[in-house]
Amino acid sequence: MKKIGKWAAFAAVLFVLQTSLLPLMAYHGVTADLLLLLTVSVAFLRGNKQGAFMGFGTGLMQDLATGTFFGVNTLSRTLLGLLFGQFSDRVFKEQFFLPVLASIAATILNYFILALLMVLLGYRFNLESHVQQMLVPMLLYQLAFAYPVHYLTYRLDKRLEEKK
Amino acid sequence: MSRVRRDKKSPKRFWALLFVLVSLFCLILFAARGRFQAPIASQTVSLILSPFQQAVSWVGSELNYVTSNIWEIVTVHEQNKMLRNEVNQLRQQNLQASDFAAENARLRELLGYKQAATQFDLVAARVIGRESATWSSMVVINKGLGDGVNKDMAVVTEKGLVGRVVEAGPNSSKVQLILDPRSSVGTLVQRAESRVTGIVVGDIDNPTMPDMENIPKTADVQEGDLIITSGYGGVFPKGLPVGIVTTLKNDDGGLLKIAVLEPAVDFQKLEDVAVITASREAPPEPLKPPVQTPGTETDPVTGEPKHAEGQGN
Repeated sequence: MKKIGKWAAFAAVLFVLQTSLLPLMAYHGVTADLLLLLTVSVAFLRGNKQGAFMGFGTGLMQDLATGTFFGVNTLSRTLLGLLFGQFSDRVFKEQFFLPVLASIAATILNYFILALLMVLLGYRFNLESHVQQMLVPMLLYQLAFAYPVHYLTYRLDKRLEEKK
Repeated sequence: MSRVRRDKKSPKRFWALLFVLVSLFCLILFAARGRFQAPIASQTVSLILSPFQQAVSWVGSELNYVTSNIWEIVTVHEQNKMLRNEVNQLRQQNLQASDFAAENARLRELLGYKQAATQFDLVAARVIGRESATWSSMVVINKGLGDGVNKDMAVVTEKGLVGRVVEAGPNSSKVQLILDPRSSVGTLVQRAESRVTGIVVGDIDNPTMPDMENIPKTADVQEGDLIITSGYGGVFPKGLPVGIVTTLKNDDGGLLKIAVLEPAVDFQKLEDVAVITASREAPPEPLKPPVQTPGTETDPVTGEPKHAEGQGN
């Protein structure tokens, strides 16, 4: 239970940074999605079950706290946690390159899952220009923050494992 | 043989997971149509997170304040010259405006026209949270039910309309910006010869510039027109600036046109806002000459600068 509390506190800290500090360095309103990076890191370190659980929790927190389209982040993060957790057995935990690179793939997948949901909800947009304006700057932000977030997640996971 | 570990309980887990995903998908569809809401859960999460958001946002704004102050000190001399020039020009305009205001008051009296000036009760608030503007545009402000803020109240800055409160919690509220694709604002063209009405909605394609829709193709709307709220619908008071028309394009159907707006408010630098908690008609304020800053005084009758240095370069 304590462990879940620590993970929840870590997710809350990242959420607060993402919504209160990162907008100061946003490009046309686009900033990094730290909770997506956390989901991918947890999925790589802990497997698909805990990755999906973390994705569900962080997505729900974001949907509830920001007032965006309810459930879209919860669904996409759960799917991504599940998907990237499949690779946890094949990657060394000390290896940082793959999880950091995977955050790019996760951001692209997350973008297209959300785009599909928007189309299903009846919103129309020009995919090409939207990708240029939204996805490309977000990928750059994600690349910049992927390593620090994965490093912190790795340290927290290791510390909690040692205590166990 | 596959390297992926097989779980004995996988069929059961698979069905449980499928159930969760399908339920989430249904929730998204119901929530988007307004048939599902989770106000208690949403307010609880906001109640827990908003004090931390407030603290971090304060640190961020202080950092921003320090850096912008340093920049201002570096550019203060040049800025001073420009401001002196601007002061002189504005005073000339002010003289003309005073004449027009006096003439307007006389004509109103002559026609028995009802005074339409509106006075607002405002609650000042600070933006403490903002999500990445990829699909929706929402901000969190540090005032809630306890400060008199309620759902569907208009949020403004001194430059114009920001959005409306969609959810008010005990100590924070969520504001849907006019850039959000779910937002719709009844508006009209301010120009006296036009007064064309339309609806301003957020555009997913260009989240920094909303569209004014439902404009007949033959309607008199021009680039540079100021768009203000029409007051229809009851959420937004009449006369709040929304934006300026930058381009006009044809609607897909061909019968209507769309005006792309440059918002009156700079949403990239949105820090302080005000919530309109009540609005009522107010009597006009008597005309008073503005206070003049020492060193930049001008003659109140002619508008000519009194000091040579006041002329600037």
